[in-house]
Amino acid sequence: MQPLANVTPLKPPPRAGAIEVRNVGQVFRTRSQDVVALEDVSLDIKPGRFVVLVGPSGCGKSTLLMMMAGLRAQTSGTITINGAPIPQPDPDRVGVVFQEPSLFPWLTAEDNVEFPLALRGVAKAERRDKAQDMLKLVGLDGFGRRHPHELSGGMKQRVSIARGLVQDPPVLLMDEPFAALDEQTRMTMGDELLRIWATTGKTVVFVTHSLTEAVYLADEVIVMSPRPGRIVDHLQVPLPRPRTYEMLSGDAFGALRDRIWRHIRKSA
Amino acid sequence: MQATLTIKLARVAIVIAIFALWEVLSRTGLVNSRLLPPASDTLATLADLLQRASVQNDLMVTASEVLAAFALAVPFGALIGFLLAENRYFADVAKPLLFFAFSIPKSIFLPMFILVFGVGFAQKVGFGFFSTIFIVIMSTTTAVESVKVEHLTVARSYGATRAQTAFRVYLPSMLPVLLEALRISMIFNLTGVILAEMYASRDGIGHQIATWGENFQMKQLLAGVVMVAAIAMTFNELIRWVETRCSHWRT
Repeated sequence: MQPLANVTPLKPPPRAGAIEVRNVGQVFRTRSQDVVALEDVSLDIKPGRFVVLVGPSGCGKSTLLMMMAGLRAQTSGTITINGAPIPQPDPDRVGVVFQEPSLFPWLTAEDNVEFPLALRGVAKAERRDKAQDMLKLVGLDGFGRRHPHELSGGMKQRVSIARGLVQDPPVLLMDEPFAALDEQTRMTMGDELLRIWATTGKTVVFVTHSLTEAVYLADEVIVMSPRPGRIVDHLQVPLPRPRTYEMLSGDAFGALRDRIWRHIRKSA
Repeated sequence: MQATLTIKLARVAIVIAIFALWEVLSRTGLVNSRLLPPASDTLATLADLLQRASVQNDLMVTASEVLAAFALAVPFGALIGFLLAENRYFADVAKPLLFFAFSIPKSIFLPMFILVFGVGFAQKVGFGFFSTIFIVIMSTTTAVESVKVEHLTVARSYGATRAQTAFRVYLPSMLPVLLEALRISMIFNLTGVILAEMYASRDGIGHQIATWGENFQMKQLLAGVVMVAAIAMTFNELIRWVETRCSHWRT
């Protein structure tokens, strides 16, 4: 179902944080053959939504995310963020949170958060203020002087999220950010992320392997299949917010997770 | 590496014990004192030698040769190592060859250095350079390879320029390995220069040590050994100190 917006004669200017993926394909050329990693992927993400990309290994979900980040070029199709293409990384529009080992171990937590600002030559005092605000937002007030090796896995990912948000981009892309964490930490971090998302109103695109994580976090879940990677389902998650631990055992939750699982089992 | 006080004391105790054993062996005649003069005599000779203008001059000559060889070998080696690490084709071609070259004992080339450069400063610097550059190349390659792809991707995703990536990602990532490389290079470098001096030279501390040995001047010889050992250890510890300060984050 398309909302009323389609009826307006002029296309309204895209709001900050809108992501449009149109007929995107990706082909990896190897010596012996061409591997189609993504085929005809189209997707509309509205500002402020929490969207999860889920699917088995090799379905191209991370590839798609890297394209949205401007870190990789697609073979065909277009991707726009805030209505403009993203041929290279643009930290004003997109913040990226990677898997665990992405913090610079030689910098303190606050220096890591300041890193994107330092690249643009923001003055030290302003940088420090912003980093402090971000560390407070992710619940790491007072940990700024620690080095990554002095932080737990969950804390490191909080720092990564702070770094992704420090330039206040409308979109936050997250590539399996909690994959390396243990189950309890993962649950806690999910709740923390939802709190941060609710506070900041960012558009979040989140890649994961975990079906439970997908349903628990998302407004919408995009299910992808491998070889060639394409979208096989696009679910709305009608569960109320805030999400609670009790919902995990509810029927609605189970039904959604089963529906995703059936898609994945088919393609595995 | 953090050592508690008791461990440090134990180390000092072992060093003292070695000198004490040396002293006792020599004084009691268990070892012929003409072959092994007592430690106390040797140290007295060392103090005496350090006062002499000729020995001071030898030390200066050796130091300048070592520094010149080091100053040439490190940037050259680092540049080649960097190119090797960054260029796949170049690396595939040259790496095994470098490993072959590295495995050859460098000392067998010493006569050629004398033929080419004559006996003097250039011969010793040249040989020091030759002894050092392979280890610098290989360590630099390792250092570049120690830079994590994830870190480069992060820098790229925040719009880092080439220079910013070099100074804010490559350099700090590589620093611990580079410092370690510098330390080990210096060991090779010092060995090369002293060897060249001992083989054929008119001055330098290596030349002196060789002469004392040939003339059976054991006190002077041992004093020279202690002198060179102290210099080498001082340099080593200096870089190790910088290393621990720069790589506290490495666990």
